[in-house]
Amino acid sequence: MRPNNFWKTSSLISLILAGVLVVMALLVNMTPLGNSMWLRVFFGISALNFTLRASIPLILGALSGILCERSGIINIGIEGMMLAGAFGGFVAKVATNGWPLTASLIFSVLIALAIGGLMGLLHATLSIRFRMDQIISGTVIIILATGFTAYLFDRNAVAEGKFNALPIPGLAQIPVIGPVFFDNPPITYLTLLLVVIIHVALFHTRWGLRTRAVGEHPRAADTVGINVNRYRYVNTTMGGMLAGLAGAFLVLEAVGQFQEGMTAGRGFISLAAMIFGNWNPFGALGASLLFGYTQALQNELLLAGFTDIPRQFVSMLPYVVTIIAVSGFVGRVRPPAAEGKVYETEGSSE
Amino acid sequence: MRVSKRSFYLVALLAIAAMLFGACAAPVAPTEAPADDSGAAASDAAAGDAEAAPSDFQIGLVTDVGRINDRSFNQSAWEGVVQFAEAAGMSEDNYRYIETQDSKDYADNMQQFIDNGYNVIVTVGFALADATLTAAQENPDIYFIGVDQFQAEEVPNLTGLIFHEDQSGYLAGVLAARLTQSGTIAAVLGTDLVPPVVAFNEGYITGAQSVNPDINIISTYHPGGMDVAFVDPEWGANTAKQALDQGADVVFGAGGLTGNGALQEVAVAAEGGAQVYCIGVDSDQWETVPAAHPCLVSSAMKLITPGVGELLTAAQNGEFPGGNYYGGSGLAPFHDFEDSVPQEIKDELAQTKAGLDDGSVTTGYGQ
Repeated sequence: MRPNNFWKTSSLISLILAGVLVVMALLVNMTPLGNSMWLRVFFGISALNFTLRASIPLILGALSGILCERSGIINIGIEGMMLAGAFGGFVAKVATNGWPLTASLIFSVLIALAIGGLMGLLHATLSIRFRMDQIISGTVIIILATGFTAYLFDRNAVAEGKFNALPIPGLAQIPVIGPVFFDNPPITYLTLLLVVIIHVALFHTRWGLRTRAVGEHPRAADTVGINVNRYRYVNTTMGGMLAGLAGAFLVLEAVGQFQEGMTAGRGFISLAAMIFGNWNPFGALGASLLFGYTQALQNELLLAGFTDIPRQFVSMLPYVVTIIAVSGFVGRVRPPAAEGKVYETEGSSE
Repeated sequence: MRVSKRSFYLVALLAIAAMLFGACAAPVAPTEAPADDSGAAASDAAAGDAEAAPSDFQIGLVTDVGRINDRSFNQSAWEGVVQFAEAAGMSEDNYRYIETQDSKDYADNMQQFIDNGYNVIVTVGFALADATLTAAQENPDIYFIGVDQFQAEEVPNLTGLIFHEDQSGYLAGVLAARLTQSGTIAAVLGTDLVPPVVAFNEGYITGAQSVNPDINIISTYHPGGMDVAFVDPEWGANTAKQALDQGADVVFGAGGLTGNGALQEVAVAAEGGAQVYCIGVDSDQWETVPAAHPCLVSSAMKLITPGVGELLTAAQNGEFPGGNYYGGSGLAPFHDFEDSVPQEIKDELAQTKAGLDDGSVTTGYGQ
C-alpha cells in the first residue's frame, strides 16, 4: 500500500472539525451561547438530529458502492436497489401488519435485504456472466425498479407502525450527545456499526485483502488461486443487500410508508459520497455526514427566517467540494484499478 | 461468440421488460382512445354508433407526470371529468385520459386528442401551462382547461382553472395559530418554484399573524428541483422532525408526497402522546393519507373536482369563459377532531371564510 499523505491530512482535519463541532454543540445547547440565532442555526440539536438521519441512507448506499467497486464491479444501480428494497420491506410490513410489531418489522427488514440482494445478484449476473457494460446494467436496474414498484404499488395499503427510538440506558442521558447519538432507532445504530465492521473486514481480514486484490489486479489474484468472479458475485450481492437496508431505513424507520420514487436521488448522492470518501468506509461516513449537514443547514437557515443567501447555494456547496476533490486539485481519489472491466480467465473465452 | 449473442438477447429482453413495466405504470386508456374513434371525420362516416351517443362531445384529459389515481391533482381533475360525463350520460368512449410519462411528452399527448377530434382537453398541472397555451393557439376550435395554470393573457378557447391558495392557506394559518400551545407553528413545503405553493405559505403566515402578531412561524421549502421536490417523503418527515425539535406543535404539510411525509412524521409524534397537530393540503387528506389520522385536524383545499365540472358545463353550453377561472377553496372537515376543535374557533373560521369571500379580509399575497 502506498501512503497517501493527502488522505492522512484530511482525516486529521475532519477529526479536528468533528471535535470542534461536538464542543460547540455542547456549549450552544447548554450555555447562554444558545441565545445567539447564528450559533443555534449551526449547532442546534435539531440540526444535528437532521444531519444524522439524512445521512443514514447515504452511508448505507456508499457502503454498498464500496463493497461492489472494491471488487471491481461498478454499481450505479444503487438507487434502484434501494427503491426495490424499500418496496419489498413495505410489502412485507403490510402483509404482516397482524404480527407483533417487532417481529413484523424484523421480518420486513429481512425481506428488504433479500430483495436488495437479489437486485445485486442480478447486476452481478449481467456484468459477469453476460459481460454486459456495467453502467448499462446499473441503469437497467434503476429503470426496472422504478417501473416495477410503480406498477405494483397499491396506494390503499397502509403499513402500521415503524421502528421507534431505542435510547441506550446511561449514554442517552449525556446532555446533547445523548439525544443525538444514543436515542435512535435500530437501523441507525446498525449503520454506524456497519461502517466499523466493513472497515475492519476490508482492511484487516483475508476476505478484505482478496476483495481488494480482485478489484485492483484480478489476473494476479487469479494466479494465486482466488476465484475472481466468485468474489465479485458475493460482494455485489452483499452490496445490494446494503442498498436494500437503506430502502428498509426509508420505509420502516424514517417515513413509515412507501411512495413511488421515494429514494429521490439518494442512491446517486451516495455514489458521490463514496467517491468523495475515496472508497473508504470512514471517508464515506464523513462525506455522507457533510452532505446531510448542508441539508440541515439550509433548512435551519429558512426556519430561522434567514433568506439573504439563496439556500440553493448552501445545498450546492458539498457537491462543489466533491468535484474539487475528484478533479485532483487538492489531492486525489483513486478508484480500484480493475473497476468496470470484465475478467476472463485465460483460455476460457471461446 | 455464442455468449455475446446470448447476452445481447438478454439485454434486449431486460430493456423491453423495463419499458413494458414503465409503460404499465400508465394504464392503457390512451392506446384505446385512437383505436375506438379514429378521428371525427371517420366517426361521422361510420354514422351509427357515433350518432347514437347523446352528443358528439368528447373530453380528453392529459395528466402531469404521474398516475391518474395519484390521490392528488390528476385524480381530482379526472373525477371532475367523470362526474360531469356521468351526469350528462356520456358514453365511456367519449371521455379518456392519457397518463404522461415524461414532461417532454405533454404536447404529443395533447396532439393525440386533437387528432382524434376531441372537443375539450383538460391538462392537469402548472408544468403543462406552456404546452397547453401553444396547443390552444394552434387549435382555436377546441376548448382547453388548464388546471393550476395562470393565464397572463386571455386566449378565448383556453381557461386556466386556478385557486386562491393564499385564502386556503390563510384559514390554515388561523387554525394553526389558535391550536398552538407553544407559540411556534411550522410549514413543510414543496418547492418555491411553483407559485401556488408559495401562495399557500404566504397565506398561512398572514393568517397566523392575524390571530397573533408575535407568533413564531418556521417554514421551509424543499431544496431540490421540480423533479424531486414533491416526491421526497423522507425529506418532509425529517424536516417535520426538525421543526418539532424546535418547539413547533402545528405543522402544515404542503407539497405532494413530500408534505405527506411531514404529516406522517407528526402523526407518529402524536401517537407517542405529544400534543401536536398537522394540516394537509390540496384535497381532504383524511381520505388520501390514512397514516396521518392521529394528527390531521384539517386540510387547506383547492376544489379541483367541482371546478373542472363547472368549466365543462360552460364549455358544453357554449359559455366557455377564457382567461382565468377561480375554483373554490377552503378548509376540509375536521373528522375525528370535530369535538376537540372548540366552537369559537369554528365560528371564527367561518367568519374569516366569509370575509375572504366578500373581500373584507385580505391575505396580502400578490399585492
